[in-house]
Amino acid sequence: MLRGGRGAVAALRRAAGSRGAGGQGRGQALEPSLLRFLVCPLSKRPLRYDESTNELINEELGIAYPVIDGIPNMIPEAARTTRKKPPAGGSKETSGPAGPQQ
Amino acid sequence: MAAAGLGPARLFLGRRRGAMRALLGLARGLASGPQTHFGFQNVSEEERREKIYQVFENVAEKYDVMNDSMTLGIHRVWKDILVHKMNPSPGTLLVDVAGGTGDIAFRFINYVHSIRERQLQQKLKRHQNLSWQEISKSYEEEKVKPLGDSQVVVCDINKEMLKVGKQRAQHLGYSEGLSWVLGNAEELPFDDDKFDVYTIAFGIRNVTRIDLALQEAYRVLKPGGRFLCLEFSHVSNPLLSRLYDLYSFQVIPVLGEIIAGDWKSYQYLVESIRRFPPQEELKEMIEDAGFFKVDYQNLSSGIVAIHSGFKL
Repeated sequence: MLRGGRGAVAALRRAAGSRGAGGQGRGQALEPSLLRFLVCPLSKRPLRYDESTNELINEELGIAYPVIDGIPNMIPEAARTTRKKPPAGGSKETSGPAGPQQ
Repeated sequence: MAAAGLGPARLFLGRRRGAMRALLGLARGLASGPQTHFGFQNVSEEERREKIYQVFENVAEKYDVMNDSMTLGIHRVWKDILVHKMNPSPGTLLVDVAGGTGDIAFRFINYVHSIRERQLQQKLKRHQNLSWQEISKSYEEEKVKPLGDSQVVVCDINKEMLKVGKQRAQHLGYSEGLSWVLGNAEELPFDDDKFDVYTIAFGIRNVTRIDLALQEAYRVLKPGGRFLCLEFSHVSNPLLSRLYDLYSFQVIPVLGEIIAGDWKSYQYLVESIRRFPPQEELKEMIEDAGFFKVDYQNLSSGIVAIHSGFKL
């Protein structure tokens, strides 16, 4: 019975975690049809869509444009402050099965 | 690369107004470029961009209601005329810049959809001896491709306006062939030679560097592509002009206060219309960007005008 309870809590935590991550902008993915039009507004060069972080990345300039609520934010000012970070944000951890539940 | 320095500096300044602003105002003034106008005020280019962003952030929720009240619903007719002039066929790729709440995009989708329906009906009529299977297959085709590969990308610089647009799309049931991008008309995030039509409806007036926006429009259009601009313009008839001024300056800001709780934004709107170049001057600017066969059509005696040009 205890195990069942633990499983339920874990499931709830995972659900809460993923919704939390969505709130941070990892939510809706980019519409694939847009990829054939979008380029970096600064260099006009192609971008790479990273599904895990939901960003459009310009490898050459090392900047990433975020996708928020499914809408790509292609304003250079918004991107410059978003240097390519390793995906180690706190919100990511909660969406995993670990969680601080001893 | 100097611009990279401005980015964090701009953020810093945004958070510490007041005292710091006075000190850094001078440096900022030197760094942020030439003077321009915000309505009847004189401001730097950077200030103008910020102020305009705020205007639309404030009015986004009430934008459509205000359009209806200010123009007594006539703005709908103007937008219908724009799309009819465009006369898009199925398969057309449209980029609607400063398209915020989606008025042009939705009309485009409706238009293409009805053309497609008519095409399919005519096809059916011509083949009177179709079997039931063939008829149901053509109806299925329509369901799978209701727009026949047509697409519209709505690009706007303002998050709030896009948010409202996306919500409207959901309410009205638009999803197929429609996408939203947050971008700057002066620096479009689109590749060269991509679109069949570029529209900007009641948006170019709010762009700080119109020449850059026109150059970008030229760049993203395919050869043979069409530029269409719907914007408030100048009324030449003196009597009508007086009445229009009266209405603009006495009625519209009041409506703005009553309906949207925002007198100043609508004061800006009215002033910005007066500051915007008249028909001939805008035509020249469009030609300077490289467009050919540039023409304009006055609507409502010049209260608005549709400018059109082609990339050859």
